[in-house]
Amino acid sequence: MSDNTRPPQPVAVGDAPQRPARRRRPRFSVERGWFPPLGSKGKAALVFSLLTGVLTHGYHLFRYPLYLTDEGIYMQRAWSLVRETSLSPYTYDYDHAPMGWITLAGWVFPLPSQFETFGNAINTGRFLMLLVHVASVYLLFEVTRRLSGSVLAATVAAFFFNVSPLAVYFQRQVLLDNLMMFWLLLSLFVLLRRETTIRSVFGGGLALGIALITKENAVFFVPTFMYLLYRRIKGSPSSRFTSTLWPFAAAAPIGAYVTYALLKNELMPSSLDFDLNNPPADHVSLLYTLWWQLNRNQGTLLSHNGLLHTSWLPRDGILLVAGLIAMVICLFWGLRDRKRNLGFLIAGTLAFGYSFYLLRGSVVLDFYITPLIPMFAMNIGMVVDRMMKASYSSRMLQRAHSGLRVALPSLVVLILLAAPSTGYLMTVNTEGVTQIADQYQSKLNLTGMQHAQIAWVRKNVPTNARIVMDDDLWGELHDVRPFYPYAHSHWNASSDPDLRDKLFKKKWQNIDYIIMSNKMRKSILANNADGRENWILQALRNSDRVWSDTQGDIKLEIYRVQ
Amino acid sequence: MIVAFIYFVLVSVSILLTVQSAHVLYLMLYTWDRADAERRARAPESFLPPHLSFSVLLPARHEEDVIQSTIERVVRADYPSELLEVFVICSEDDTGTVAKAEEKIEELGREGLHNVRVVVFGDKPINKPHGLNAALPHTTKDVVTIFDAEDDIHPKIFSLVNTVMVQEQVRVVQAGVQLMNYQSNWYSTLNVLEYFFWFKSRLHYHAHYGSIPLGGNTVFFARELLMRLGGWDDRNLTEDADMGLRISAMGETVRVVYDDRYVTKEETPPTLGHFIRQRTRWSQGFMQTLKKGTWKEMPTRKQRWLAFYVLAFPRGQALLGLYLPLSLGMILILKVPVLIALFSYLPVLLLAAHFLVQVVGLYEFTGAHGLEASPKAVVRMAIAWFPFQMVLAYAALRAMRRQMLGRHDWEKTQHVGAHRAPTEEAESRVG
Repeated sequence: MSDNTRPPQPVAVGDAPQRPARRRRPRFSVERGWFPPLGSKGKAALVFSLLTGVLTHGYHLFRYPLYLTDEGIYMQRAWSLVRETSLSPYTYDYDHAPMGWITLAGWVFPLPSQFETFGNAINTGRFLMLLVHVASVYLLFEVTRRLSGSVLAATVAAFFFNVSPLAVYFQRQVLLDNLMMFWLLLSLFVLLRRETTIRSVFGGGLALGIALITKENAVFFVPTFMYLLYRRIKGSPSSRFTSTLWPFAAAAPIGAYVTYALLKNELMPSSLDFDLNNPPADHVSLLYTLWWQLNRNQGTLLSHNGLLHTSWLPRDGILLVAGLIAMVICLFWGLRDRKRNLGFLIAGTLAFGYSFYLLRGSVVLDFYITPLIPMFAMNIGMVVDRMMKASYSSRMLQRAHSGLRVALPSLVVLILLAAPSTGYLMTVNTEGVTQIADQYQSKLNLTGMQHAQIAWVRKNVPTNARIVMDDDLWGELHDVRPFYPYAHSHWNASSDPDLRDKLFKKKWQNIDYIIMSNKMRKSILANNADGRENWILQALRNSDRVWSDTQGDIKLEIYRVQ
Repeated sequence: MIVAFIYFVLVSVSILLTVQSAHVLYLMLYTWDRADAERRARAPESFLPPHLSFSVLLPARHEEDVIQSTIERVVRADYPSELLEVFVICSEDDTGTVAKAEEKIEELGREGLHNVRVVVFGDKPINKPHGLNAALPHTTKDVVTIFDAEDDIHPKIFSLVNTVMVQEQVRVVQAGVQLMNYQSNWYSTLNVLEYFFWFKSRLHYHAHYGSIPLGGNTVFFARELLMRLGGWDDRNLTEDADMGLRISAMGETVRVVYDDRYVTKEETPPTLGHFIRQRTRWSQGFMQTLKKGTWKEMPTRKQRWLAFYVLAFPRGQALLGLYLPLSLGMILILKVPVLIALFSYLPVLLLAAHFLVQVVGLYEFTGAHGLEASPKAVVRMAIAWFPFQMVLAYAALRAMRRQMLGRHDWEKTQHVGAHRAPTEEAESRVG
């Protein structure tokens, strides 16, 4: 064969296929991965959003909000992983899947001073939350932009995600929900790549699986993910592989969790007894705990004393109301035309799935709202963008359109920031004076009270004292010298057999000190339906207050038991 | 101390196996994963007029049952007979196959087809590469190709290769080979799928990075290239892989075409004994090629590493065969800590992923060839999965033993034509 052979012209076998008519390619399609490029304006908006996130969540991070019980629990478990290679310093009862504190331990382990790198264990965890938030801002921005094809929608979503007081309050805290949302957004982001390769789909499945073993409530987003995957891979040559490997990848981390329980002989309860009135006595069980959690009922979310009215709406009613309306609109548009409005359907069902979880009547804690914040923000952003686009149809608005697209949302943002009633940047204090909102108030140092409380303990309480306290102080007393090995939370003191029956023997006389906050007092009462904390309350009645401090509605105290 | 060392070994091997399994999984899915690879793998939709001429080498040993139909298929391919010449290659002691081939040649001659000859060789060793070398000097056409005696070639295969070679100016083309009888025995499904993933996906990866062990048939070489290389290494039990690496070391581009419509159809070895012998030969051939060191002559590190990785695989497989029962025993006897046991979970997870991919592959394969995969086939595959891996490990161990004993004789695979009956009923979907 000579190298300079000129190739003859191809001859079609059979009928020559007709060349399809050249059609103008649509600029945007979620299903096909046709996303408009980010462009210079988009890049500027993204950088602005990221910087806003750093400011709103980074400024005052270690001073507000108060260190909370759950933050302490997760850092305590991370401590146990780093120092003792076990999932909890107490009996791990599968109350949560462990990926969240495995991540925290992975973060802390290589740091120069480990848990004390940023002052104390919770601060160190909070710094990770800041990084997670910034990464989540990027992911939310891009996910919203790809679902809507609009930088405006993404910017609006990022604004609420960054600035909402609800977001700032919960996203600064060391919560599994924040870590879970990062993995979830990452999984969503991967499903919204231009090309859905097997590798990317597998990675997306894996991220979802990690989200699920970080916080189990991620399961309420799964149906939407499945539908998005179905729409994205439909008709592709690799669809059989992707549709098989995605669930496999998502199930793999869950499999590891189940395998862990299996290896510890803690998967099933003894005698396969799932009787909720008769918890297994000899060992904990993953499936029993799961069954118990599924059967918990509370149903007070919407009541006047429920979290909606007492905590969430006061913190940011605007986000919740606007988010709810936007979700309904997204669902309406998305369901009306699933083919064209896939992005709306995805955003709407994501928010709807999680709203259903909150409203279904099971136990809801204050921070359970956290995963709904980015979803509502996304829905608001997409609806705002669509409504702005609709103004094209008005001739008068069309002329002013380009300016209007920036000016109108900017005006709303300014109002939100400037109006004291919103709490976004300004607030009105209990004396009716307008001031900077708590989350940015430099004079307010809530955690400083907790530092003072610890300082008093170190100065006045012997290290062998038997202390009942809340979990937020655990890291300070167990990881910073001198250690207080007998300092335990009231939760564990009243439920862990090793503490309750051996250390304290359920006798109030065996408690030396109680380190108290008004929130802990409420928790003790709430946890005492079966009388398990009676002996701690009795100790409280037989004790003298030796230290106290109050700021606003926060009151911290220390009691010496007689 | 010893226990800590055992834990260290368990964790290290688990991580190593996980990485290796993940990489193999990626290679299995390479073509499906990358749109550009999928595009490159395709056969052209239209063919050029015949331009190149082909010399077809048909090495055969004790192939009395199938040789006539194979000659028939090649000669009657959809390509001008004046551009084709066929050489049936036999050793002089194989009188049965020679007789059958000559009978067919006579029959074709009566129809005016005179482009088939028998080449008989009498010197040692009696093996495929030696036979190919014996026939190579007789070839006169532009392109030399090899088919095995049991191959069912597609009538358009020469048109396809003619088009690819002329259009893309390549001098080596490896076209697809596919085992078809996926329901013949307990291991046939898994054997069929090995071919499916190898030719449809993995070879494209190797070709892309210029480090490719070629297959034994349906491979096309520009004659002058083969002459320049001096033919095949007749001491090598996998002369095809060796040839591929020699060509890669020259920097020659190899075009791989896998199109379900045009694959050459073959059969799985009829008995487990034959299967083990075939695998032993392949494994030993890879060990020989690794020792020979042609791979070290490749220009880039990536190419060398890839070649090493493929050639060393049988040794790894043999070690894996030894390691698996050992690790299971250790886990059961030692009662390892939960964390160590969780590390052992990783390779198991990858094993499950491999199995799932194979199941999907079965549906892909059957769908492409107008066949139907039943849930029963999947169950059978699941049951056969572990024994099949153990058989492969045993064959690799056997190859290691033969290699150490210096036994390099050719263990022939028997062909009974099991792929012909079902495939004639189930035509390729778009063939």
